Amino acid sequence: MPSPALFKITPENTEYVILSFEGPDQQYSQAGGLGVRVAELAQALAEQGFKTNVIFVGDPNLRAQETLFDGKLVLNRWCQWISKYYPVGVYQGENEKLYDFNETVPWFVMDSIVRPAASEGRLVVIMGEEWHTASTIMNISDLLHYHGLRDKVLIFWNANHTMSFHRVDWSRLNYVSTITTVSKYMKHYMWGMGVNPMVIPNGIPERFFEKVPSSSLAKFKKDFNGDFVLFKVGRWDPDKRWNMAVESAALLKKMGQKVLLIVRGGKEPYEGEVIHNAKRLGLVVKDIETQERTIEGCLKAMKEALPADVLNLKFFVSEELLRLFFCASDAVLANSGKEPFGLVGLEVMAAGGVPITGSSGEDYVIPFQNALVLETDDPKEIVGHLLFLKNNSEEVARIRKEARSSARYFVWDEVIKNFVNKLEYLAFAKNIDVAKSVEIASR
Amino acid sequence: MPNDLVVYTVVHQPRRVKLPAQPIPEGISAEDLEKCIFDERINRFYFEKVSRTCYLPAITMFKSMLEKGFKLSIGFSFSFIRQAEMWGQDVLQGFKELVSHPNVELVCVEPYHSFIFLFDIEMFIERMQWARNYLEKTFGKKVNVTDTTEMYLSNDVYFALNKAGFTGVLMDGRPWVMGWRDPTHLYNHADKSLKVLTRHYQLSDDVGYRFSNTGWSGWPLLANSYAHWLKEAGGDFVFIGWDFETFGEHHREDSGIFWFMGSFPEELSWRNINCLTISEAIEKYKNTTYDLPLPEFGSTWAGSGGMEFFLGNSAQLAIYQLMHNLLSKARLTNKPELLDIALWLLQSDNLHLIQWYGKYGDEAEVSAYFTPKEWWHLGPDRIIWEQQQVYKNVIQALDYHVS
Repeated sequence: MPSPALFKITPENTEYVILSFEGPDQQYSQAGGLGVRVAELAQALAEQGFKTNVIFVGDPNLRAQETLFDGKLVLNRWCQWISKYYPVGVYQGENEKLYDFNETVPWFVMDSIVRPAASEGRLVVIMGEEWHTASTIMNISDLLHYHGLRDKVLIFWNANHTMSFHRVDWSRLNYVSTITTVSKYMKHYMWGMGVNPMVIPNGIPERFFEKVPSSSLAKFKKDFNGDFVLFKVGRWDPDKRWNMAVESAALLKKMGQKVLLIVRGGKEPYEGEVIHNAKRLGLVVKDIETQERTIEGCLKAMKEALPADVLNLKFFVSEELLRLFFCASDAVLANSGKEPFGLVGLEVMAAGGVPITGSSGEDYVIPFQNALVLETDDPKEIVGHLLFLKNNSEEVARIRKEARSSARYFVWDEVIKNFVNKLEYLAFAKNIDVAKSVEIASR
Repeated sequence: MPNDLVVYTVVHQPRRVKLPAQPIPEGISAEDLEKCIFDERINRFYFEKVSRTCYLPAITMFKSMLEKGFKLSIGFSFSFIRQAEMWGQDVLQGFKELVSHPNVELVCVEPYHSFIFLFDIEMFIERMQWARNYLEKTFGKKVNVTDTTEMYLSNDVYFALNKAGFTGVLMDGRPWVMGWRDPTHLYNHADKSLKVLTRHYQLSDDVGYRFSNTGWSGWPLLANSYAHWLKEAGGDFVFIGWDFETFGEHHREDSGIFWFMGSFPEELSWRNINCLTISEAIEKYKNTTYDLPLPEFGSTWAGSGGMEFFLGNSAQLAIYQLMHNLLSKARLTNKPELLDIALWLLQSDNLHLIQWYGKYGDEAEVSAYFTPKEWWHLGPDRIIWEQQQVYKNVIQALDYHVS
């Protein structure tokens, strides 16, 4: 007897709905990594041929609905009638938007997406991102259940970090949806919430693998030629262990090494404490401000600030320049104490750099194979790893190569493949019978 | 032994507020403010449901009764007409056809179904004149007589309506108002021209409330019995008043209500009971009217006939107080569109829908029937809190608009 096959998820029989506060509108809807994740995930799904609806708190001055990629990607800018009173960005007027999102999105999803899809025998996969959409997900499930459509969809809710976990009704959310998260660390953390999420890692787009131009690389190496050139990027937040980074730089300096730590933080006030600490430890800190947008212009502004031990970049750092820093530095200090996934480390690997990561959510690292991993918050551990790198140039080349190759497992296409395989199992486990949809939905 | 019957119905749908209360952005426009306050999805759901179960079949039923000599007086709240314009053009058309029949008289009611007369009697007069003009324009028929809201009448409201130029007004014929008098006569007050018809509440409620109550001694009520009771009522004429939603909504189709009404005209005719419209009754009995002292505390046709049905518990009193505050605040803005929103929030249904608060058992269950089922997941206490929050949010939102 032949083995029975799982229901095969294809663009012909399945479409996606992504619910998120943040979304693709760069100016209005992106406040952190979530908007980027949503934009890239949605684009990758659409490029694979899946009809994908993104419902997010969009720019009130743009069209309410926009269709891209030959109709495969539909951006639904929600809450615009409220957002016009809150021009600063997605999280201004958060409660007002949250109410509207929770109350109105479920009806739209049911009437405009699920019902038509079900009548054509297509499965709808609904994915909610972050605590803001937890109530929406529960409302959608209830509404679809009430209207006899609940078994036409697979519903997921994803946690990218632990923020506002106290606002989530875990037992109810767990009952109505499949909870996912981005790393094993998060999975185990969420056991404490009484749920056992499925891990679906974050992804990166293909462009992160673009080679850094050798001319830029050479220029950087020539202009910034200390014993140790280090880079760190992230929010000014204690979880990112900024002080550990500056203390390791200070330690190297005390050891007589010429060290240059290039940092790019956000707008958070914690910056003051970190910079004060760096200066207290004897590091010369220079803030770099420039209106330049070209790599050459930015590097020139940085070079003019030398000599310094810490260059605190205050200007816009493009993706291209970021990749140069990732690749050209001796190491990138992605040394967070608590990281749900640690996207920076993965981006460094894709660029062929050497990340020194923490050991929480960074499932993609294997110590001394494709990255270096910290087990403590002791700055000496960073120094130890840096000395290892300095004295093992062949190992460094091997790690850089391995890093790029490991990162390939996390391009969005691979992540989606992983996700789809899990979907097929879930469709089987939850008795989703799409073929039955036509008959039921047209009743 | 009366030979005349006057039947009145009123058509109304509330404009329900959104619960839980939606937070309101600062600087919001009146148009967006309405979106935050009112739950048009629920309003549409109930309108369409009642259209299917009641409005459409009952219009057909009454049209057929009119052809058999039945006469009907009918009032419409603007709250209902607004919803019909948005979600039920077929219903509105059906009512227009019904009203166009010569046996139908159009009656004015307070347009937003509010208790504005408790807040501002001058504004009440303006609102009633506006409603009369609006109804005349919508239905193409003259309006001479009026109801208020929930058939409220008090001494001051009587004088206001007399000033507004109506010829007749409706009042519930409760014993505490009527005293030794029967409700089956035409009344006047203080020698003013405005005549008062008093509803026979027992006979009205036999159909309006008790018809589908299988525990009632009169159940099952048949048209011949009911016509017989009308004939036995004594006096000049019997004035009966019902919610239009009695037919198919308060009493479902399977209660037999349509069958009952369908055979009603024949039973009346067989007993020589003539049907009159309100104005016809006034014309016929204007020379034999009796003086009726009017209560200073208003009477209504709800509950036990006073205002306790609307202001009988602490939650209702809190909303009533917030209604006052909101109206005052809206006036300070000097913006008619914001005043209009405040008037909507004076709708009596916002008091009616929480009549169950603090009650238990059957009494609570009966009044809870009118509360949207979508609210109950909040639980009783949170319904009360969120409803108050709606008013508080709006009062705060008007800060921006007061110069």
